[in-house]
Amino acid sequence: MDPARKALLESLEGKARQLRRHVWRALRAGGSGHAGGSSSAAELLVALYFHRLRLRPQEPDWPGRDRFVLSKGHANAALVATLVLAGVVEESVLDRFYGFESPFGMHPDMKLPGIEMCTGALGHGLSIGVGMALGSRLQALHFHTFVMVGDGELHEGSNWEAAMSAAHHRLGNLTVLVDYNRICQSGPLAEVMDVAPLAEKWRAFGWQVVEIDGHDLAAVADALDAVPLRPGCPSAIIAHTTKGKGVSFAENTHLWHSNNVDEAVYNRALVELGVP
Amino acid sequence: MTTPPPMNTPAPLRSATWRSRSANQTRLAFGQALLELGQEDPSTVVISADTQDLLGIRSFAHDFPERFVELGIAEQNAIGVAAGMATTGLHPFVCAYAPFITARSMEQVRNDLAYARQRVVIGAAASGISLGVAGGTHHALEDLALMRSLPNMTVIVPADVTEAYRATLATRDLDGPVYLRLGGRVEEPPVGDLEAPFQVGRSVQLRSGGDVSIIACGALVSLGLQAAALLHGEGIEARVINMHTIKPLDRDAVLRAAGETRGIVTAEEHHLCGGLGGAVAELLALERPTYMRMIGMPDVFAVIGPTTAVREKYGMSAAGIARACRSLPGLR
Ligand SMILES: Cc1ncc(C[n+]2csc(CCOP(=O)(O)OP(=O)(O)O)c2C)c(N)n1
Repeated sequence: MDPARKALLESLEGKARQLRRHVWRALRAGGSGHAGGSSSAAELLVALYFHRLRLRPQEPDWPGRDRFVLSKGHANAALVATLVLAGVVEESVLDRFYGFESPFGMHPDMKLPGIEMCTGALGHGLSIGVGMALGSRLQALHFHTFVMVGDGELHEGSNWEAAMSAAHHRLGNLTVLVDYNRICQSGPLAEVMDVAPLAEKWRAFGWQVVEIDGHDLAAVADALDAVPLRPGCPSAIIAHTTKGKGVSFAENTHLWHSNNVDEAVYNRALVELGVP
Repeated sequence: MTTPPPMNTPAPLRSATWRSRSANQTRLAFGQALLELGQEDPSTVVISADTQDLLGIRSFAHDFPERFVELGIAEQNAIGVAAGMATTGLHPFVCAYAPFITARSMEQVRNDLAYARQRVVIGAAASGISLGVAGGTHHALEDLALMRSLPNMTVIVPADVTEAYRATLATRDLDGPVYLRLGGRVEEPPVGDLEAPFQVGRSVQLRSGGDVSIIACGALVSLGLQAAALLHGEGIEARVINMHTIKPLDRDAVLRAAGETRGIVTAEEHHLCGGLGGAVAELLALERPTYMRMIGMPDVFAVIGPTTAVREKYGMSAAGIARACRSLPGLR
């Protein structure tokens, strides 16, 4: 492998581990939180922020910046952890998760720098992404918009209205990342409400699709490098992931969609994630 | 379709055993009551929107798998499906988050439930700022205004788990759609008489008093009682009314309170616009202008934070209610 690529992947790997530690630290501060969907998105987030997105950390409002919308807003702890690693948000904010009058609650809040949209009600982000992509094109701002959605979130019909409009308007500057961890709040998607066949759905709506292992940083980086996958066509990166990835007791169970985190649970998690 | 019984017929309390069960939150009491309805009435169907734990409906799904329908995270679809099932003679209970099932599904609720007058119950958990730490997207502080604005709709706000359980049972005897507003993880202290029957549209006077009337609903009822205790220490006697049904409003109780005390303070975990305070003010403005104060959420989005702290910040506390009572003319 090209040494530069190797160095990049090693650095991203370290960032992903750090991100997960930050997430658990925040959950410990809040007493509970969404470990599952925050952890499944870790590699996607670090590859986006430390490899793909064009940002100016010292100027979070730069009009030419690439946009990222976390539509599955309940993974906010992972997004804020990423912004901490990027130097956009102060690290001390992590300890104010769920605090009174904190800017850092369960869902993204634009009171924090670097947060592009208040999300949390599922099924809003992709429409917002379509609007941002249109705004970029109309004003020749040349930025790319990325939206991350959950697989359960795709139950909401609004996603498919947005998907149709993005293809119709030929938004090559829009990419959706699907965190396909196959579990929503009540259980496995296969039991609650299946979204399969997922790639075929996006293709049928006019999107160009690539499917990857969402924890394989090389695959994630390659996919992000490859978008737009086809000119004049929105791109869908379907990332196969594990809910709760990185901490064995939280992996692959809806019980860790959101759960309580006390000192003991936090310590068990940190043992697995490696103390820095 | 069944016609509703007259408002003065008490809904029979079908279960004497329910208090021995473990629900400590109104949302879970709803799920337990569904079990009883499921046993009694084969037309009972439960619809989940990926909310099986939120409303404690796994036991219903277990006992009546064929009458349990999981529809995933799709609230608009859930209301439409419920309406369609109701047209075939079933009695659907839609289990969802208050902020999403009202605001997001408002058109389906208006057209498919209220306008078409379908007999569907919405169990709306996590209302108000019961998910305080979740932030504005997950606060439901306008749901009463939305639901109350619809003709044919019944709107009920239980104050504690016993009332939530009984209110759920009572929906069986109602025609048209019902909005049942439930809480989140906060455990509201019990108010009132555990044995008292629950009557839709008939408020409960929890404390008598001739100086001022506190008319409250939901979580604010117990805070209203605490406020009355504070005022009692100062020689002010407050009547406390648990207005568990916002629509149809118990007009007689409001008009009596207006006539017999010097002013009315309403208290609710809802925007000051369009909820219980609005309903009371609309009635009194037309029929018996009365000095009023309203406790509730001012015209801002609430801050993020633990529920009690956020409530207190905006005056939704015993001290806040007592202060509002004292500020009425003639009460100092
Ligand atoms: C409109 C709406 N309905 C319901 C919810 C409650 N909710 C939050 S997360 C969640 C499950 C999401 O599952 P998924 O999209 O698969 O997320 P992930 O597994 O990535 O955490 C639900 C039902 C919500 N936030 N918004």
